[in-house]
Order: sequence, then structure tokens, then C-alpha cells
Amino acid sequence: MRALTANRLIDGEVVFWTDGRWVERFAEAQLFADDEAGEAAEAHAKTEVTTVVEPYLIDLIDAEGIWAPLSYRERIRALGPPNHHDHGKQAEGGAVVEALLNAHGAARSTGRVNLIKRK
Amino acid sequence: MYQYDAIDKDFLADRSAEFRGQVARRLAGELSEDQFKPLRLMNGLYLQLHAYMLRIAIPYGSLNPTQMRKLAEISRTYDKGYGHFTTRTNLQFHWIKLKDAPDILDALASVDMHAIQTSGNCIRNVTADPYAGATAEELDDPRVWAEAIRQWSTVHPEFSWLPRKFKIAVTASVKDRTAARVHDIGLAIRRGRDGALGFEVMVGGGLGRTPYVGSTIREFLPAKRLVSYLEAILRVYNRLGRRDNSNKARIKILVATLGAEEFARQVEAEWEKAGDASDLPDTELARIRAAFAPTRFETLTARSEAFEAAKATSPALARFARNNLKPHKQPGYGIVEVSLKAIGATPGDANAEQMEVVADLAERYGQGDIRVTHEQNLVLPHVKLDDVAAVHAALAAAELATPNMGLVSDIIACPGLDYCALANARAIPIAQHIAERFADPDRAEAVGELKIKISGCINACGHHHIGHIGILGVDKKGEEFYQLTLGGSGAEDAAVGQMLGPALPANRVAEAVDQLVEVYLRERQGEERFLDTFRRTGVSPFKEAVYADAH
Repeated sequence: MRALTANRLIDGEVVFWTDGRWVERFAEAQLFADDEAGEAAEAHAKTEVTTVVEPYLIDLIDAEGIWAPLSYRERIRALGPPNHHDHGKQAEGGAVVEALLNAHGAARSTGRVNLIKRK
Repeated sequence: MYQYDAIDKDFLADRSAEFRGQVARRLAGELSEDQFKPLRLMNGLYLQLHAYMLRIAIPYGSLNPTQMRKLAEISRTYDKGYGHFTTRTNLQFHWIKLKDAPDILDALASVDMHAIQTSGNCIRNVTADPYAGATAEELDDPRVWAEAIRQWSTVHPEFSWLPRKFKIAVTASVKDRTAARVHDIGLAIRRGRDGALGFEVMVGGGLGRTPYVGSTIREFLPAKRLVSYLEAILRVYNRLGRRDNSNKARIKILVATLGAEEFARQVEAEWEKAGDASDLPDTELARIRAAFAPTRFETLTARSEAFEAAKATSPALARFARNNLKPHKQPGYGIVEVSLKAIGATPGDANAEQMEVVADLAERYGQGDIRVTHEQNLVLPHVKLDDVAAVHAALAAAELATPNMGLVSDIIACPGLDYCALANARAIPIAQHIAERFADPDRAEAVGELKIKISGCINACGHHHIGHIGILGVDKKGEEFYQLTLGGSGAEDAAVGQMLGPALPANRVAEAVDQLVEVYLRERQGEERFLDTFRRTGVSPFKEAVYADAH
């Protein structure tokens, strides 16, 4: 399973793609079970150059029945900095935030690594 | 403190207006991200994990109270009420919005500040001794030369597109508080046999992927020839430094490849060819020097009875004085170190209220002078001993009086994976765990000087190579692991640390530091510091203690 993420151009906010628009909460991110659909969304996102910077797909894992980013780095992006739990998206709380905070199993952010390799 | 003139102020206003236009063009789609990125980086604006990060230059770590208050105001208005002081004595805000950046640059310009040359392959902010103008050890005020270098290097057309970034440090004391030997150029002020002022010039130091301690290429450079000699070094580097591989583009690689002797020969040849045309005239040097005229001190006795009486009744003040109060050149004064390393806090972070407390104290008790150290603390360089108790009380109320300067909990840590887009692992929680483990101030004092430095990736912003104990975060099959090195130093006895053994998981690091400290306490002889004991015993006893379970 994968999701599409980027940083919003105007303020740098971490955003996720869902059905043709960008949302701030990972909980609302569109999940792509199908590689082709994810890559099509990524290709479209790359044309939105005045909205987002460097969109890329991230891998997800099942964490307590909720999909969470596989890589530790992407979980930090989806939550906010671990040194300030009242900053970033984690401040809002909720089941998905809890699941992400408790998720285990870290791996490199494959989408990010691909992005770096392309440079 | 150096004061900007009308030309400086106009330049900053123009630069800010230019960036406002560039941001507008980016948001309108007239500039692509590839076109815009180098422009924003030239103004210190990075895109990190959660938001944009703005790195603000604090030239040679020197601030006045008005500037500090403006930083506090910016943090409240545009960030989340705090900032992070870095190992380059700059300040980073981690929650900046692109749309606000031009307004922030205007706010900075209103107090003669900016973010120019805090990124990019140019000459970055110059580091100078944070005790400049206050310590009796110095041969001359290093800020004079740091300011001369700042003026010469700012938007210098020949040196704005170097093979890679370039960092210069200036120290004037035997005790080096600038890590000069691990800068691209380290300048140590010396006196010649005839009493004339000059510099020992060290080149090719650096950390990152390939750490080197710099080599001395000139034992004594007459001070007034500084700029032409720097130009000769930069020209040789600009011509021969690699541009095909950013990992091999720093001057340290060139110096190591050519050999220090051959590099020096080429610099001397270049220097001779160029002559002294670019050296600063005496009148200009005198103008800069006047900005750092010695502060007016009162004539006081060396011993303050009020301070001695206060210490006698307050163990907390006595401990603060032992660890955070340093000798001043003027009788009756002291240098006060303000700790940004409260136990469990993020190293180098200060919130807006803390910034304002320091600004107020500098104004009331410290001759309006504030310094930032490369060890991520602040300094009030000129405090009367009579006032130290009052300063301590105000700092303590703001959680800025942790009596741990140079001790085990005075840890350098980069922002790491909590914020940084380049990091492989977190640095902040490792620092917090270690500090909490050594929270007992008696134990910390018993251990004595111990410099722990943590980086979240090989770029080494946390200076891990030169920690007495260095800690490098690595990504091991996707897990955060930490590689320990021992025996490094960024001071006058500079050295790159030696690897201890296989990387440790996050939950083993604080325990391992504890084990290393216990070995030191067992092995130390006389007044040895951790570093001295390590240098005498070698790595074996330390390695045995940490990896005992593995055998």
C-alpha cells in the first residue's frame, strides 16, 4: 500500500494527496493498493508546481489495523518533531496519530531515496 | 559592536526587496523550483521535514539586546516561539512559511541582521572566540579581523560560487574556543618576535564525510596582509577544487590531495603574483577597530565581597560560579556562560521568553553584549562580580542557569531527524537521555570536563568527530543506530575521534556513555580529564566495558 506526499509550496506544510486535492492529515490520505494508480497520481502531482514541492510516493505498513508510513522519517513528517509533541500534526491527537506514534518497523523512505537518486 | 552604515542598510533593504520579488514570482509560477531553490538558499531558506527553515547569520556570534529581542519577536510572530542556536553560532527557525520569509527578512534588516551567505558554496559566517574583548588570554580582539573578513567576503563576486561552502575561524587565545583547526581556514593570532601582530594560518580542516585537522601553511602572516593571503588561498581553491563530486569538493580534499606543502607553495606563488592591492588600508582597519574599542569598565577590586557572601549562603550560586563563570581581564568582572542545555531540554534551543531574559540581563548588567558559542550556549561577556548573584537568579528563573558548562550534560546536538531533511537518525533524544542520566550535578562535576557531540548524519553539524565522546546517527537497514568515537577534540589539542566499535541501538547509547565514564573514573590518574585518560590508555578498556556483553 502507498500514499502520495509532498511539502506545500507556500508554507512548507507536509501534505498528502487524496482524490485530486492535497490535505494536511495523513489520516485523510488516499491509499493506493495499485502501483499504476499511485504513479499516475504522482505524475499528475508533479505538474502542480505552484502548489507543492517534490511529490513522492511512500510505502505503508499495517500498524494495529491502521495504515502507517513504513519509514521512520515519513512517520515523523506525518506527526511532527518527536522533541515537541505539541508541535506539528501530532498535537491534534486521534487514533491515526496514536497508531503512527506506536508503529514499529523502520525502513528507508523509498520514495525519498528515489527522489535523491534522480538528482 | 560594529554598526552598519547607510550603505549597509540600503543594501539589506534592496536584498530583502529582491527576495520579495523572487518569492512572488515563484508563487505565481514564473520561477520553477529548480530556478528558485538557489535563490532561497542564498537567503538562508531551506525546505525541511515539517516546514521551511530560516538560518539567520549572527556574525562571529555577536548580538546586541535589540537584535535578540527582534529574534524573540520573529519567533513569536512567524514561528512557534523558539529558535535553535547552531554550532556555526547562527540561529535557525524551524517553522517558517515561504510567504512570510520576505517580511522576516525586513524585520531582520530593521536591526541590521540578515540570512545572507548562511547557505550556498560561498564564505559563510566567520567564527570568533566568544570571549573576545573579555578574556585576558587574547593577544588581540579577534572580532576586528572577523569583521574585516565579513566585509571582504560578503557578496564577493569571485568567491560566491566556490566548489563548496567555506568556513573561517579566528582565535586570539592559546585556549581555542572556535574549533579553528577543523575549519576550512583557521586563523590564530600570534605575536612575532618583534612584537608585531600576525596569524598562524591553518588550512584544510573540516568534519563531515572526511574529517581532517587542518595543516599550518604559514606560521606567521603579517596581520595587515590578511586579505590578500586569504584571496590567494581562495583563488587556488577556486581553480583546483573539485566540482565533479560534492563529497570531494571541500578544500580539505584539495589540501590532502596536493599535500599541505605543495598547497602552501601554490598559495605563496599566487600571493606574490597578486601583491598587496587587496589588503585593507590602515585607515579602514582603524575604522573597524574603533567599533570594538575596549568596553568602559569600572575600577573595582578583584574580589567582590557581596559575591563571596552570596556564594557562601547559596550552594546553587557557588556551583554556578564554579562552572559557568569564567575569568575576565578586568578586576571585579566575570564572563557568564548562559546554558542552553537544561537537563532534558533540546540542546541549543531558546524560547522567546528566554531570549528576552538574556537581552534584558545584557542590557542591565552586561554592557549590552551577548555572544553565541559554537557549543550552542550564550555568553554575557562583561558582568560585574557584584551583579553575578542577580544575573544567576534571573537566569535560573528562566531555566538558563544549568551549571554544566563543559560537563557531560553540555552536549552539542544537531536538529537531526526531528527536523532535518538530510538526517538519518535523531540526535536530540540521545542528548536528552544522556543529560538525564547525568542529571546529578555532583556526579557531573566529579566527572569533570567531558565534551559529547552528536550528529544525526555524516555531514557532522553536531561536530561528532571532535567530541571527547562523539556520537553519529546512522541508518542501519532502516533502524536508528549510533556509532561512537572517542578521543576527538576541537580545541587547541584538536584531533579526530577514534571508532569505539559496532554501532549501538538508540536505547543503548546513554548506558554506553555511562560505562565509558565509569572506565574513565576507574582509570584516571591525578587531574586527568576524560580525554587525557583516553589518550593515555587507548581505546581498549573503554571498548571492553561497552561491548562486554558481546563477548
